[in-house]
Amino acid sequence: MKKKLLFIGGLIVISPLLFSFCGFYVSKADGTLKNKTSQVILVRDGNKSVITMYNDFKGDTKDFAMVVPVPVVLRKDDIKVVDQSIFQKLNDYSSPRLVEYWDQNPCYDNETMMDKSVSPQASLNEIVVRGYGNVKKKESVKIEAQYIVGEYDILILSAKESSGLKNWLNENGYKIPANAEEVLDPYIKSNLKFFVVKVNEKEKQKLNNNFLRPIQISFNSPKFMLPIRLGMANADGDQDLIVYAFTRKGRIESTNYRNVDIVSNKNIPLFVQKNFGAFYGNLFTNQWDKENKSVAFLEYAWNVTPINQMKCDPCVGNPPTEQDLVQSGVWWLGNKDWNDYSDVDNEEMDNGSKNVHFTRLHFRYNRKSFAQDLMFQVTPNKQNYQARYIITHPATGDLNCASGKKYLQDLKQRRKKELMELASLTGTNINNWQDEATAKNEEVTNVTVQYATLLPDVKKETENKETMPAGIVLFGVAMLGAAGLMRWKGII
Amino acid sequence: MFLLKLFKDARYFQIVFQCIFLGYGIYFLHWHNENWLYTTYFIICLVTQGIAEWFFGKKDIPFLKRFKSGIPSVLISAFGLSLLLKTNEVGVAIFAAAVTIASKYILRINGKHVFNPSALGIVVALLLTGKAWISPGQWGSGAVILFGVMSLGFIVTTRVQKLDVSLAFLGTFTVLIFIRQIIYLGWPMDHFIQSISTGSLLIFSFFMITDPKTIPNHTVVRIIWSAAIAAAAFYLTAFKFMNGAPIFVLVLAQPLVPILDKFFKAKNFEWGSSKTYTPEEKNFLQIIYSRSIM
Repeated sequence: MKKKLLFIGGLIVISPLLFSFCGFYVSKADGTLKNKTSQVILVRDGNKSVITMYNDFKGDTKDFAMVVPVPVVLRKDDIKVVDQSIFQKLNDYSSPRLVEYWDQNPCYDNETMMDKSVSPQASLNEIVVRGYGNVKKKESVKIEAQYIVGEYDILILSAKESSGLKNWLNENGYKIPANAEEVLDPYIKSNLKFFVVKVNEKEKQKLNNNFLRPIQISFNSPKFMLPIRLGMANADGDQDLIVYAFTRKGRIESTNYRNVDIVSNKNIPLFVQKNFGAFYGNLFTNQWDKENKSVAFLEYAWNVTPINQMKCDPCVGNPPTEQDLVQSGVWWLGNKDWNDYSDVDNEEMDNGSKNVHFTRLHFRYNRKSFAQDLMFQVTPNKQNYQARYIITHPATGDLNCASGKKYLQDLKQRRKKELMELASLTGTNINNWQDEATAKNEEVTNVTVQYATLLPDVKKETENKETMPAGIVLFGVAMLGAAGLMRWKGII
Repeated sequence: MFLLKLFKDARYFQIVFQCIFLGYGIYFLHWHNENWLYTTYFIICLVTQGIAEWFFGKKDIPFLKRFKSGIPSVLISAFGLSLLLKTNEVGVAIFAAAVTIASKYILRINGKHVFNPSALGIVVALLLTGKAWISPGQWGSGAVILFGVMSLGFIVTTRVQKLDVSLAFLGTFTVLIFIRQIIYLGWPMDHFIQSISTGSLLIFSFFMITDPKTIPNHTVVRIIWSAAIAAAAFYLTAFKFMNGAPIFVLVLAQPLVPILDKFFKAKNFEWGSSKTYTPEEKNFLQIIYSRSIM
């Protein structure tokens, strides 16, 4: 990263590390993730898991219902409702980021340089099974437990066979799609229980707000997984899932899908700033296609232990505080009296028992590419990672000195590279960016280095490039053919 | 000369194929961030081999000759580590590689090393350091890989006539998973296929469990031994949700091999380079050799 910045004409004098302070946050782009996006917080240590499910159900709360397979019968203490804002915080903090750098004018050296970050904004929807009716008890379905938690009525069901469960759910107004049986059967036989949620209208009215809070469940089980197959039963097409995971040891990774770091630290054209959301959306789709879809993309991984100072470089949102982490279910930070400052100087924090590692995984799943539920493991991998894209503002002012001319030459080359990078990252034809590139808001007055001027050149070069692989293959075939012929004729 | 060696000694095949897998991982699955790790494994394996050979080797043969003849095995072990064991720390990588090679010299019974070197290195590094891990999902599960590894592994194992171990292991494991997932739980077929087409499982069955020095000599015993490993690995995978179960089970099962060999006598295995060929075989190899360099 540092190397790359220095390479750009050696114009940048301040190392990006200086910008490691967080919260320099300008604006939010909209609409990056075109698909339905669900969000889950996973906290895992040893055999204990805490899962928090985001709920952005809009509409009549009477219609809300949710079915989640869980490995054990949960006790009332294991179920909580938490503050909805925690998801927004975690998303803002860990989203892919755009970093800005300013070139200095080589003819003067008093220009200042700044660094800002922008994050694309996800639209957040939870997969819900709609419909609700009166609860009746049926033989093949056993109600293991029944609680009221916050604004929710919660039932924990176990079943002997899937058709009974399916009928029970349908009769009670949980409209289970027809092909859900394919999934319910294996779940029942794996001895999973069903955590069934609807809204308790009385409790809801007491709260006096118009949204549903996320539900957090915790349990002990060697299984570290997220059941996505039930969600697929009623959704066609691709669904996005963002997993925010917290562990004591290090990153989490998928054990039954390939883990891929989303491409990062790339220099892209300045105009992407105006539509970073769309850029990242395209980039994600393109990378997802390239990696054959059945993958878990890593978008962020960092040690966010509350005492750890540097949490991102740069940050797009405030890092989660200790209280945020406890809210998310990081129980090993809990049991703390917030008014007691006696442990401020306590050294015991250093032994790693209070460590928190944050992993953000992004899945885009569909029935065809994701035949299995998501299985995870906690690894001791403590390496930091972030999806980060770089734009650089050109130097302004008079560039007529000798080094100024050299700068313009370098800038031209750099911008061509940026355009090519843009096309290859997003898998889009460079022509699609014509409007953005030609928009009249260029900071540089010199026409030769404007993106619009460079675009035709880049187009030509990319077209030539496209014919290259075919050329290599043809050449290879020809060589092999020739060798075969010579061999046949006994020449070699 | 190389080709003659290739036909005589299956280890060269194994090196070539493991090299292809690692290359596939680095260039297509973006493992290139870990090039430092692979380099460390190879360097430390070779260095440990040198040191161990210097102190523990047969003194009647010149050192360089001994060292040279051991290189193929060292490379196979280093590839084994590279393909399976991940870590972020150089210290852990050095430790794993050193344990891998040292175990071949220190833990020996009846002229055979007790543990498959890389399996032991992996298990020791996982259990003792806590800073290493196995990534079962690293290969993805493209069917292409399934067939690729199968056919390549097939060739390697036929060369050492130990296909029975691979097939007994893979067959038992696959059948048990099929029974559990398809017949008992009722998952659809693609769920099952994803379970068995992980590259790590296939690499284990064709390149790790097959190590001719660490399997029972007697054919029937060998097949039962290998099927038992599969059954135990299946149990740990399906019911205890353990990752990398086959490797752990293999390491636990290997100390049984000398005992089994004691009760069930059969001819000890020798690598190709020290094998004597019948005149017909020699003739055949000679023909292949001369044709292939024409």
